[in-house]
Amino acid sequence: MLDLLWNGLVNVAHWKYLVPLFAGTLIGVIGGSLPGVTITMTVIVVLPFTYGLDPLAGLAAMTGVYVGGSTGGLIACCLLGIPGSPASIATTFDGFPMARNGEPGRAIWLGVWASVWGGLLGALFLVFLTGPLAAIALEFGPWEYFSLFVLAMAMVAGLGESSLLKGLISTAIGLLITVVGHDPIGSVPRFTFGSTFIGGGFPFLPVLIGVFAFAQIMTDLEKLNSPRGEALQSLANVRLERFSHLKVNLEIFRQPFLLAWSTIVGLIIGILPAIGGSASSVMAYDQAKKFSRTPDRFGKGHPEGIIASEASNNANVSGSLMTIMAFGIPGDAVTAVMLGAMTIHGIQSGPLFISQNPDIAYGIYAAYILAHPCMLLICLALMPLMLRVTSVRMAVLAPVVLVLCVVGAYALNNTMQSVYVLLLFGVVGYVLVKLGFPLAPLILGLILGDQIEINLVRAIMTDANPWLFLTRPISGLLLLAAAGSVALAVWQHWRHQNRVAEEAPDF
Amino acid sequence: MSIGRDGIAGLILLAISLFLLVKSFQLPSLPIVPVGPGFYPAIVLSLMATASALLVLQDLLKRRAPAGAVAAPRRNYRRVLIAFAIVGAYVVLLPLLGFRVATALFVGALQAALDRPRTVRQWVVLAAIAFGTAVVSYFVFERYLLVLLPRGAWTGF
Repeated sequence: MLDLLWNGLVNVAHWKYLVPLFAGTLIGVIGGSLPGVTITMTVIVVLPFTYGLDPLAGLAAMTGVYVGGSTGGLIACCLLGIPGSPASIATTFDGFPMARNGEPGRAIWLGVWASVWGGLLGALFLVFLTGPLAAIALEFGPWEYFSLFVLAMAMVAGLGESSLLKGLISTAIGLLITVVGHDPIGSVPRFTFGSTFIGGGFPFLPVLIGVFAFAQIMTDLEKLNSPRGEALQSLANVRLERFSHLKVNLEIFRQPFLLAWSTIVGLIIGILPAIGGSASSVMAYDQAKKFSRTPDRFGKGHPEGIIASEASNNANVSGSLMTIMAFGIPGDAVTAVMLGAMTIHGIQSGPLFISQNPDIAYGIYAAYILAHPCMLLICLALMPLMLRVTSVRMAVLAPVVLVLCVVGAYALNNTMQSVYVLLLFGVVGYVLVKLGFPLAPLILGLILGDQIEINLVRAIMTDANPWLFLTRPISGLLLLAAAGSVALAVWQHWRHQNRVAEEAPDF
Repeated sequence: MSIGRDGIAGLILLAISLFLLVKSFQLPSLPIVPVGPGFYPAIVLSLMATASALLVLQDLLKRRAPAGAVAAPRRNYRRVLIAFAIVGAYVVLLPLLGFRVATALFVGALQAALDRPRTVRQWVVLAAIAFGTAVVSYFVFERYLLVLLPRGAWTGF
């Protein structure tokens, strides 16, 4: 296995892969650092560029975006107190106070180095655990897959800030979108109403780009010219103080347990399908506070808070990559786009992916590992430039991002139909956001819809006994966990409602 | 008891899911397969209909805050509408004018709509960004990455 990894590293170190990896990481750091531009949106922007590349080069670029984006978010966190991307939300809690106390450089570099070490520690798990996980996945029958997908959806529907009901409806809308078109068994057209436009169903990537990118950009446009925009402008004038990288690293390694535990928290959240970087950052922060000898210093510029959040969100990337490579299930929207890119190149994901495509699998490991030194190099060399780039105005950014979204949809199969689908779902996504429906469950439903149906039908065709979903031990456990997660969400919602009612009795 | 935004959204979604549920029952069943093409959609739609109905119920039972009690942050919906209209126009014009012309016009128009330039210099910057985006993306995609972009039916360009 180490031979294969070494080959992967040597292979990716070739300029043919290194250039896309470096470019992807750079764009990731920039995208991550721009408040309002999420990692998903950055990977969507990079997507059309990967169509013309070799599959591994394209995936290397996307891995770079993922790693770079997970780190880039901390710049705005520390300097503005706004998370550059949701994945670094918990970095704001201590990064911003530390910067305000006159140590912006220390805050940023603690975050960057914690990202590097957390990410590289995560790489160990990625390289050594993905194979065994894939072996477990091979034992999965359609019952287990179906139940795993149900668990993923139950978790994401319950996680949302808004109501569980809206989460469930959003999931159902996502699943419904995948139903339109020909059914997977008998090719009977469903809900097409005789239209040739939707006869073949809605293509996955344009729907995803439309729902995600448009909803995000349009919501940002509502708030244009706000004080936040002015704060961004001022970033260009920030000067970081002089400090020692050695000292920052010593600060991180003085607490090996914190680094290791934050990495593991990030990794586990990454492996669980559907829960993204923001949850891992917040959870690792919370854990760090619980285990800390000085919990009262959290929130006032404590280095432990920055280390926990940043180490975990980069480790989260390795967890998501494990899920997509072992199970063929995207852990979040970023890996969903990666999966889409793999499909375009005709690569079949799933438990056999590593054994059938060792070059690409080990190439992805290598790209993930090499993305970290690339990211470090970019931060070291270009930090002043990065601060300037972060202050680019949304009025300039939005049209360019939208053009790339259109190209990404059009170039899929060179038809305008995909662009129309993009626009249609852009409107749908925006309206849903405005009505308070969370988009993450919709996207997960969209990603998993086909797979759920295929596994459900396959299970019933193999054995018509529906109880098998419950009596097969793994499948039963997964469904039990799904029911538990919905129950937990209901309980949390109920408790929250009661608390609100107690606090405001006259309403 | 009055209906709110959630209730209306729930009602619309309930209507859509019930309509499609009826449609899914009308789908033909296949002789060799134990479950027909309507089986899975019916499950999804039942879930959606139930959740939508509960959302309506929840909304009807909710105790509402007096109107105007919560000061929502000011949001500019007019700008969003204009942005959607410009994107719509771009999508319509793309196959007619071709990628290069339509993109330059789109980037310029959207920028101007979002943040109107006040000086000649700002107009020049706007035009440069619009023109630059079209040219750079065309060269990167068509020449370097060999990704084809739309040609214009009117312009042939």
